[in-house]
Amino acid sequence: MEFFNVFIKSAFIENMVLAYFLGMCSFLAVSKTVKTAFGLGLAVIFVLAVTMPINWLINEYLLGETGIFGTDLTFLRFILFIAVIASMVQLVEMIVEKVSPSLYNSLGIFLPLITVNCAILGGSLFMVSREYNLSESVAFGLGGGFGWFLAIIALAAIREKLKYSNVPPALRGLGMAFILTGLMGMAFMSLMGIDPTVYAGN
Amino acid sequence: MFVLVMTTIVAVGLTGLREATKPLADANEAIFNKKGVLASVKSQIGEDPKDWDNAQVETEFGKVKGYVFDYQGNPIEGKVAIDLEKNRDKNNKLAVEERAFPVWVYEKGGEKYFVVSVYGKGLWDKIWGTVALKSDLNTIVGVNFDHKGETPGLGAEIKDSPAFKSQFEGRKIYDAAGNYKSIIVRKGGAKDKTHEVDSISGATITGDGVTDMFVEGLANYKPILEAAKKM
Amino acid sequence: MAETATSGVVEVKEPSFPFGKKEKQLITDPLMDNNPVTIQVLGICSALAVTTQVFPSFVMSIAVVFVCAFSSLFTSLLRNNIPKQVRMIVQLVIIASLVTVVELVLKAFSFEVYKQLSVFIGLIITNCIVMGRLEAFAMANRPWRSFLDGIGNGLGYGLILLMVAFFRELFGKGTLFVGSPAEMFIIGANNATTSYWINTAAESGFGSYFSWYANNNLMVLPAAAMFIIGIFIWWQRSKNPKLVDIS
Repeated sequence: MEFFNVFIKSAFIENMVLAYFLGMCSFLAVSKTVKTAFGLGLAVIFVLAVTMPINWLINEYLLGETGIFGTDLTFLRFILFIAVIASMVQLVEMIVEKVSPSLYNSLGIFLPLITVNCAILGGSLFMVSREYNLSESVAFGLGGGFGWFLAIIALAAIREKLKYSNVPPALRGLGMAFILTGLMGMAFMSLMGIDPTVYAGN
Repeated sequence: MFVLVMTTIVAVGLTGLREATKPLADANEAIFNKKGVLASVKSQIGEDPKDWDNAQVETEFGKVKGYVFDYQGNPIEGKVAIDLEKNRDKNNKLAVEERAFPVWVYEKGGEKYFVVSVYGKGLWDKIWGTVALKSDLNTIVGVNFDHKGETPGLGAEIKDSPAFKSQFEGRKIYDAAGNYKSIIVRKGGAKDKTHEVDSISGATITGDGVTDMFVEGLANYKPILEAAKKM
Repeated sequence: MAETATSGVVEVKEPSFPFGKKEKQLITDPLMDNNPVTIQVLGICSALAVTTQVFPSFVMSIAVVFVCAFSSLFTSLLRNNIPKQVRMIVQLVIIASLVTVVELVLKAFSFEVYKQLSVFIGLIITNCIVMGRLEAFAMANRPWRSFLDGIGNGLGYGLILLMVAFFRELFGKGTLFVGSPAEMFIIGANNATTSYWINTAAESGFGSYFSWYANNNLMVLPAAAMFIIGIFIWWQRSKNPKLVDIS
């Protein structure tokens, strides 16, 4: 049950992009068409869902004082987490290059930049600070990735429609995307903090 | 292979650097934690220890007695209260029954002030702080907060805004009938001026974190403070 | 984002150390016409997170200039030895260890600065500008130029950060430069009430002239930063129509 709760919470209520404003760069840059957005979204789901449990194991068994080295190595957390993320992204890059060269070209530099997508390192750090267990961190990875996927598809769909509307030329494209994301984020603000376990006062 | 070798070299190098700088860093952190304890009784000291140099902090902290208790209020020997602040992440991960609870007693003008440590979660990461109580173990004389990664200008205001922290002064954790109320950070302005404080606009989650920190944290401290008072 | 890949200047034969025309461009271009935030769409997350106040933005900008410059330098030095299949990991290990070194040194020698920066450490490592420039520029260029490119992009990023922070702090909190040494200097070191500076909550002094303004809470939310950057892009592109619709 906890698995399901964490999934729903991370996908909708605490959406990585729209509530925490993480992973913005590629969100804005690759949301021009639904097709590329779909590809990048899938890649992000994959990377999040795989790195989360791996990083959980690293944090639990390598870095802690109860881990195999027996000392507190938490200052290496960033380096190891990011190395895991980078190797996963490298793997995704190789797969995408083989399977769909056209997608590979349209993603351009933003495919390697999934590595520094704040949503992914942010997810791993959230997992540590919220003290998730292994199954919850899998749920969090899947949910966070799914939320990111939905958000980028939504923005890409809106931007495809906007191509046919009469926006001032200088605001076309990126300018509109910023303002749109701001508006979507404001809508998600009102969802923030919905959590039955938080003491509500009276 | 290249990666494994490189990561290992870097990791070993960094570990070396960390070992070399560890004594200095630990000393800095200890001073910082001592400042945190003193900052919660700053209204009694009459000065803000924020800008003090190390010698001043040590002198003033020398007047503070630190005790460590278990959850039932039995003193634990062999643990130093201020060291628990350094290991607060580890300590607060333990179940209440195994946790060690630090209490500092500051004496000024014949009055005793009891400082306790609280710990919780903000929007991004951990938040923590110290709370100073009068000898009635009910009235708050001051608080000090810190955080790991809250947004500057929003959640970080719990640490940076003197106005937010000064609201806690004079608030009570029990009502007149002796029921436990703790302190609640109220969005939209405090209604009950004895048990509530105003939240920081735009920082709802961090505010809820502070509420949790007080409601859950101070509830554990009841038997401990009773014991500390007798010491 | 094809232009990020092509914006790298082609390597010239003769060494133009330290400053030729091309080198100057490496610094000035990213300030406006090839700005990392508004044109290349890099480094947005951190631009949203730290810009509620001017001073943290300033600290963050300096840190990014530093990290960007030196990681570009090191990557460029190593560029011929890095196998293509693992380049990302290598780049990130360089960035992350650079940041960790700085973190450890600061923690030992200047704890106050460390406390201020420790909030941003994750944001610096995952700042796409740093890795974006490594991928697009430092992997294909000489060390000195990569170093300059790093500085230029760091500065361009800092410019946007300070501008957004200026509006957000002034209209959202009714203050300016809160917490910075400059403000401390003006109001006196131990004055916790900040009453002699732009501050709508001040009860006396210069700040009290602004008490008619009611703070706008929308401006402190991250969404406001999106609007401000959006409007800035609008202004920038209407000034320079060449930039319209390239992304």
